[in-house]
Amino acid sequence: MRSPPDLRRSLELAARIGALVLLAWMIVRSAAPRENAEVQERTDSRALGSALAAWTLAPEPTSVHVTAAVAPAAREREWLRALARAGVRVSWSGDSIPASAIEVAARTDPAGGVRAYIAAPQGSRATVSDAVGLMDSVDIASGSVAMTLPVTAGALDLLVRNQHARAYAPDSVLPRQVVVLGRAGWEGKFVMAALEERGWKVSSRLRVGPSVFVTQGTPLALDTAHTGTVIALDSSAAAYASAIAAFERSGGGVVLAGDASLPASLRALAPGRPGPRVAAASLSFANATPRRALGFFPITVLAGDAVPLESRDGRVVAAARRVGAGRVVQLGYDETWRWRLAGTGDAPAAHRNYWSTVVGAAAYRATMPVQGARLAGDAAPLASLYADLGAPSAPLASSLRISAGLRWWMFVLLTVLLLAEWSSRRLRGAR
Amino acid sequence: MATFTFATAQYESGDWDSAPLVPPNIIDTIARYTEIEVTPTGVIVSLASPDLLRYPLVYLTGHLPVRFTDAERRQLREYLARGGMLFVDDHNHDVDGVFHKTATEEITRTIGEPKLLPNNHPLYSAFFKFSDGPPTTSHELNGWGDNLVHKNLFAVMREGRIAVLYSSKDYSSEWGYHPDTKRMQSVDNTKFAVNIVVYALTA
Repeated sequence: MRSPPDLRRSLELAARIGALVLLAWMIVRSAAPRENAEVQERTDSRALGSALAAWTLAPEPTSVHVTAAVAPAAREREWLRALARAGVRVSWSGDSIPASAIEVAARTDPAGGVRAYIAAPQGSRATVSDAVGLMDSVDIASGSVAMTLPVTAGALDLLVRNQHARAYAPDSVLPRQVVVLGRAGWEGKFVMAALEERGWKVSSRLRVGPSVFVTQGTPLALDTAHTGTVIALDSSAAAYASAIAAFERSGGGVVLAGDASLPASLRALAPGRPGPRVAAASLSFANATPRRALGFFPITVLAGDAVPLESRDGRVVAAARRVGAGRVVQLGYDETWRWRLAGTGDAPAAHRNYWSTVVGAAAYRATMPVQGARLAGDAAPLASLYADLGAPSAPLASSLRISAGLRWWMFVLLTVLLLAEWSSRRLRGAR
Repeated sequence: MATFTFATAQYESGDWDSAPLVPPNIIDTIARYTEIEVTPTGVIVSLASPDLLRYPLVYLTGHLPVRFTDAERRQLREYLARGGMLFVDDHNHDVDGVFHKTATEEITRTIGEPKLLPNNHPLYSAFFKFSDGPPTTSHELNGWGDNLVHKNLFAVMREGRIAVLYSSKDYSSEWGYHPDTKRMQSVDNTKFAVNIVVYALTA
């Protein structure tokens, strides 16, 4: 059995060895690679701001992990990127962040307004507001939805499950005049009426007799400085085929209605070839698809780059394609005026909307940038998070973690061991 | 392809069919001077019928008092709101006559009061040039009816276009003859009808 003095020396030796081991371990830890270093977690984006400041001022910026319920704002993401570039390992996770996005584009329509394209998880509810207040809300059924907003103030804010996204129309559109060419007839009259009532400036040149035309405005100014869209009502517009083709290739929009694409000179522009006229499928406009009561020229042979826009009973009745810098829309309808006059409900408004949409889709877009639009905010917060910080990942294993508090207690333990060993030796008279 | 069909308005009161020769004569004139595809025969359409909406230009005339039924008034109001055009001619050529008084009253009640149409309106240059406004009729010059030469037509405008064109000049008598008779005339007095039709088709 050991005597008490031997036990005391053994304890002193153990304290000394313990202190040395602890000191050596701390030295090794301080020199270890960063992936074995400290991890700090924040579970709330609201705490992220103060956490970022602490991480930036920490003497040993090492590895941080953000667990977020909503995507950090652009400023915070930039800060995290800066930390990453300074050598801090930055990771994040956030399963509950909805993959939402909003894009806003100015409408090519004299009434102005914007078109908002929204993406959000299926089954979620999207709420859109602007600087004035709530504008609309919609349930997302298929992952995306588009909405037309006639008047907006400032940026549009999309809210999906507490996640905000903001976007601005990057430019405003300056609508140019619409030129209508063809024979005098009810279709021309009511297409012009519909467009003018909608706010478009319309010029026309309508053939009434051999070398007799009824002219309104400046229909032969077929350049994109004056004209956004040319509507060829019928095959008589072939007389202007070369001017129309040059206008289209320079960026202008062309609408070929009815049999306008029959002549070879205009057929080269058309998305397809018109077939024999098909009679109306219905005698009444009183149903959900009133255009079934209109006769039309089916588009039989589509060009390879043409996109069908509307079909009826398996036949394409509207199609579009790009030629040069412009766009061509081909419509098989030649008597839409009947819809306006005899349609049920607010048929004139539907007719106006239809023609304005067709013209706007084809029109040359003369745009003016909106200043500051790019600074509006995050249009797709989750996508921006991926772009800035990469894919999400789990935080580092807890075995590798060491906190500042633990480091402090290790220092205290080291001091106590050394003081105890030194005091014991001095009290027994040893050096 | 849409063709122009001359439509005469039928209404419950009065003698809507007092000028049966006007439609064929105007159809002949349109075919003679223009390339507009015109249906060889005109149609008669009831003001109260939904078929009214198939004819964007309708001609209405008579000698007797005009009283629209509620259905006629409702349908005509809808027709004009959608862009249809009504051409009304006083077959009496008499501003003190019953047709003028009742027809203008009904038009006012239906869509608004007809106002004087300036003689430089595009109607007068839509095809032929009528620099002095509406052409004078022989019935005016002969002193029949109210014994006046009416210098202007009247119109109710909608969205900058003529919705109702009202005439006290009695074109219904002036144009009421068989088209073959035109070859006996040194000047075709139906030319103004071309302007009305071309204006309706293009404005």
